[in-house]
Amino acid sequence: MGKEIANAFKEIGLAFKDGGFKTRISYLFLGLGQILRGQWLKGISFLALEAGFIFYMIKYGVSYLSKLRTLGDVETHKEGRITVYGDNSFLILLFGVLTIIIIFAFIFLWWLNIHDNYEMDRFAKIGKPLKTNKQVFMSLFDSNFDKTLLFLPMAGIFIFTVLPIIFMICVAFTNYDKNHQAPTNLFTWVGLENFQKIINFGSAGFGSTFFRVLGWTLVWAFFATFIDYFLGLAVAILINKKGVKFKKLWRTILVLTIAVPQFVSLLYVMKLFANDGLINGWLLKLHLISSPIQFWVNPVLARITIIGVNVWIGIPYLMLIATGLLMNIPEDLYESAKIDGATGWQMFKSITLPYMLFVTGPFLLTQFTNNLNNFNVIFLLTQGKPQSMSLANNAGSTDLLVTWLYKMTVNETNYRMAAVIGIMVFIVTAVVSLVVYNMLPSVKDEEGFQ
Amino acid sequence: MKKKLLSIMLAGAMVVSLAACGGNGGDTPAATDSDATEETTEEATEEGGEEEEEFKTETVGDDGIKIWVADNVVDFTKEQASAWQDANPEFKDFKIVVEAVGEGDAAGHMITDVQAGADIYVFAQDQIARLVTSGALEEVNPDAVDEVKSANDEGSVKAATVGDKLYAYPITSDNGYFLYYDKSVVKDPSTLEGILKDCESAGKNFYMEINSGWYQTAFFFGTGAKLEYTTDDSGAFTGCDCTYASDQGVKALKAMIAVNSSSAFQNGSSIGEATNVGAIVDGTWDADGCKEVFGDNYACAKLPTFTVDGETFQMSGFGGYKLLGVKPQTAEEKLAACDSLAAWLSNGDTQLARYKAVSWGPSNKEAQASSEVKADEALTALGEQLKYTIPQGQYPGDYWDLAVSLGDSVRQGEIKADASDADLLETLKTFQQTCESYAQ
Amino acid sequence: MKASRTASNIVAYIILVLISIIWLFPFVGIVLQSFRSYRPEVEYGGMVDYLIPKTFSLDNYRFLFSSQTNFVKWYGNTIIIALVVAVIQTIIVLCVSYALSRMRFKGRTLLMRFWLILGMFPGFLTMICLYFLLKQFGLTQAGAVPGLILVSCASSGMGYYVCKGFFDTIPKSLDEAARLDGASRARIFLTMTIPMSKPIIIYTALVAFMGPWCDYVFASYVAFGHDESYNVAVGMTRWVWTNDYQGYFTRFCAGGVLVAIPVTILFMALQRYYVEGVTGGAVKG
Repeated sequence: MGKEIANAFKEIGLAFKDGGFKTRISYLFLGLGQILRGQWLKGISFLALEAGFIFYMIKYGVSYLSKLRTLGDVETHKEGRITVYGDNSFLILLFGVLTIIIIFAFIFLWWLNIHDNYEMDRFAKIGKPLKTNKQVFMSLFDSNFDKTLLFLPMAGIFIFTVLPIIFMICVAFTNYDKNHQAPTNLFTWVGLENFQKIINFGSAGFGSTFFRVLGWTLVWAFFATFIDYFLGLAVAILINKKGVKFKKLWRTILVLTIAVPQFVSLLYVMKLFANDGLINGWLLKLHLISSPIQFWVNPVLARITIIGVNVWIGIPYLMLIATGLLMNIPEDLYESAKIDGATGWQMFKSITLPYMLFVTGPFLLTQFTNNLNNFNVIFLLTQGKPQSMSLANNAGSTDLLVTWLYKMTVNETNYRMAAVIGIMVFIVTAVVSLVVYNMLPSVKDEEGFQ
Repeated sequence: MKKKLLSIMLAGAMVVSLAACGGNGGDTPAATDSDATEETTEEATEEGGEEEEEFKTETVGDDGIKIWVADNVVDFTKEQASAWQDANPEFKDFKIVVEAVGEGDAAGHMITDVQAGADIYVFAQDQIARLVTSGALEEVNPDAVDEVKSANDEGSVKAATVGDKLYAYPITSDNGYFLYYDKSVVKDPSTLEGILKDCESAGKNFYMEINSGWYQTAFFFGTGAKLEYTTDDSGAFTGCDCTYASDQGVKALKAMIAVNSSSAFQNGSSIGEATNVGAIVDGTWDADGCKEVFGDNYACAKLPTFTVDGETFQMSGFGGYKLLGVKPQTAEEKLAACDSLAAWLSNGDTQLARYKAVSWGPSNKEAQASSEVKADEALTALGEQLKYTIPQGQYPGDYWDLAVSLGDSVRQGEIKADASDADLLETLKTFQQTCESYAQ
Repeated sequence: MKASRTASNIVAYIILVLISIIWLFPFVGIVLQSFRSYRPEVEYGGMVDYLIPKTFSLDNYRFLFSSQTNFVKWYGNTIIIALVVAVIQTIIVLCVSYALSRMRFKGRTLLMRFWLILGMFPGFLTMICLYFLLKQFGLTQAGAVPGLILVSCASSGMGYYVCKGFFDTIPKSLDEAARLDGASRARIFLTMTIPMSKPIIIYTALVAFMGPWCDYVFASYVAFGHDESYNVAVGMTRWVWTNDYQGYFTRFCAGGVLVAIPVTILFMALQRYYVEGVTGGAVKG
């Protein structure tokens, strides 16, 4: 990587030294070299991009960049009773970041332009003909088809994923919260203050709460992944069992949970388990209990109930997957095991399970990381509650880091801490993924079962 | 049209620039992605600039007024707004849009994005300090301040004041709570212990939302504990007067624990969500729902008394208000229109009409004195209760969250039923310290 | 031998019936609630402690289609979003998958790794930023429907795994043979690869179509304060979550039934492809 960049720099110098007039003029006017060589298709697009860049910088870029260091200093004020809005720190930060990226991208474009000219110079020296405009254009549907295919998706990902993520990482270093809310109030850089708060175990800090929420997030992801996995496998084996009829019916019943939107089904399930819900009501009427079971109130019970309800959601997926995979296990493996006198359980232990674990290893990892961020189940069932005096900042016993982050964003507009939590979620996910990925049997031993 | 042209141009630019990256055969270097990226970002920003203007004229124009009210008063508000335009022909060109955004959501949305928020909106008073801090409330027109202050009851004016500036127009004085009950279940609604016993023996539920900072104060203020904040003009909290960590506080907490240990107790304050109800602590907004649920046995009363360690206290609580706010404006004429419309929507006649339409108890003194309002059962019960309550001042948002934690700790048994007074005091000390830390 | 087989089958059936009851119960509950009238003179629309309504009525459904609510509008919005997202997202996923599976270009692995890393950031982190970005384009509140479509489609390129896994299984020799005959990449993609990918196209479109029906969080953030551009999830959850609406529970259930119908029918009809997709995806990881 470093070498490539060094080479690129070297090329800039070499091209200027060796290149002709057409190459040199394109150092200033991008694409002019190409136009002079008759490559107007490429040339005009380079030139148009340069014009666009200059226009952008003059109209927006420079002013945003100049304010980026302070994130604005003109306060919102009143003229009579009329409000005059000052600088908008939010937009300054957003477009400031964007401008920096655009500048880098332009430098790259500039280099690309030089590279292209330099290459045409060399082609001219050895007498190789240049491509016609038509050929250049048509290459977009053949040798350069990848660029055509990837252009829009990458543009979309850049604007709606990359840019916002960079922006939010920046927010983690500002004091953007309810007291510094754009457009009325300015916010500014505060360095590492927010990160200190998250690991501060004092009364004003988030430390102990953060680690408790993190702990539950990991526990939850573990149970949600593996309980669902094994139960799903069990149900799949049960339905696949020889002699069980109406296989399709059983599957269809289970699969309903995937088809019905969760905001409907989970809200109903939440009401079912409430202290005054149907389940408690029936148990009370039957005199099986004397006071309601505190499904959502008791922290331990709430966690168990959530994991239980998640089984309800998760089994159908796992059942479908397992059903598909079970069919791939060569029948003769079982046959020969039977001849050796193996029981059903032995066959499961030594054939089915190892095969499944091997094949679905990476999938389990993805499931695990998805569960770390499993917002819907928690949010629709408990919204993180029950809360407790021993947890800071509105966190509840069933809160995952993501639901906590959501509450901070929406209820408290505490964007600065939400950004920090978001970065922490990223770190946790990345660490777990890296560690587990390297432990996977299918990664260690690519041939394995295949 | 402009948009269409722009998009055609963009599409053209895209193809051309793709050709540019195409280069000479397949040998363009690694990071083509960032090249493509760069180009789109420019598009994005240019387009952004372009369309921003359009957006402004489309939705938040200076010639339209957007109002947010709860769903059940949308029609009423529309009627009143057009009556206002008929009476004030100078404002007849304003296009008025009324959207159903309830009091709970309105404040949150206003804070998220003031500029996209409503010009006039209704909110519950507990949000006012937050709204002032984030610049979502304009002060009441100085010319109208005296009139608003004299026309509405004292508590509602206090609720609409932050520091010493009046920031909103009171429209109701009924944001307090009292007891609805089923006459056939609860024989004597005057003591909490009696209500719980009646409910237990009838197998019915008693609802009170003890994990809410709003309802909790029924106990704490009842025993004489105090919690009050002072703010400056900008809505920042400057002082906190809290005496929860005291004997009174401990007694109140014990009462909460006792309620929680009853098998009839359910946490909640919303009649639509409640099942098998014997009695519920709720407000006037649920009066119709309660009438439906209790049918012929519908009854309401002030809150009961409760007894701790042989001492009996009357339940207290907050008397709260709904307020109407105007967003800070950037155009003179629109501000004048908003001021005028807000004054209209909150004046005595409108309040009375609103009471007739949806039974919201007025804050306007004349409207309160009218015979219809005086005859209202629920409002009478509330009136009884208000004698024992404290007009709700300003509280920081964090307080409400903290109170949920306290309530949940009681509900889940983290604060144990047999805890010693010293342990309870310890918990309340933490609570009090945290409350105090919200004020700088 | 036979007796024990029968016995174990009976046990299996018992377990399956139990499972079916547990899995169906909430749906039966929702359907039953939806037939309980909300009008006081008939029955009651809030929470009750019994399951089967005393009288069956269609009042809730009548309400949903009346002018008292914008439900039909919300439903229409959701269908539009779901359809458009399904189409665009499928196209994007196919393009990305083909490029990553078939073409070898510089930075390919780097790009895949970069996207993998991006995926590790929680989605809600960027909500506020996305909101203001969309606002710059005028695509919030009144323009929330196209805004939501844009956001759902924009990042869909990162969900290429399953589809790329499928393309990887199509023999490359087919491509090479066609290239020798002079076909361009684009031609191969459009006339050979796509027609062979029917199952994966259906899978991708199905998953994309189902997503918007559940989108509450971001949709409520983008559309706030503009009833006309809510989707069903945003519009309906207010009935159970905010105090402004008392006794709307049965209406919520009725709405839920109507929401579930198209998705369920579609899902049941295309279940085969879905299974193929998730199974393939699980193996590829």
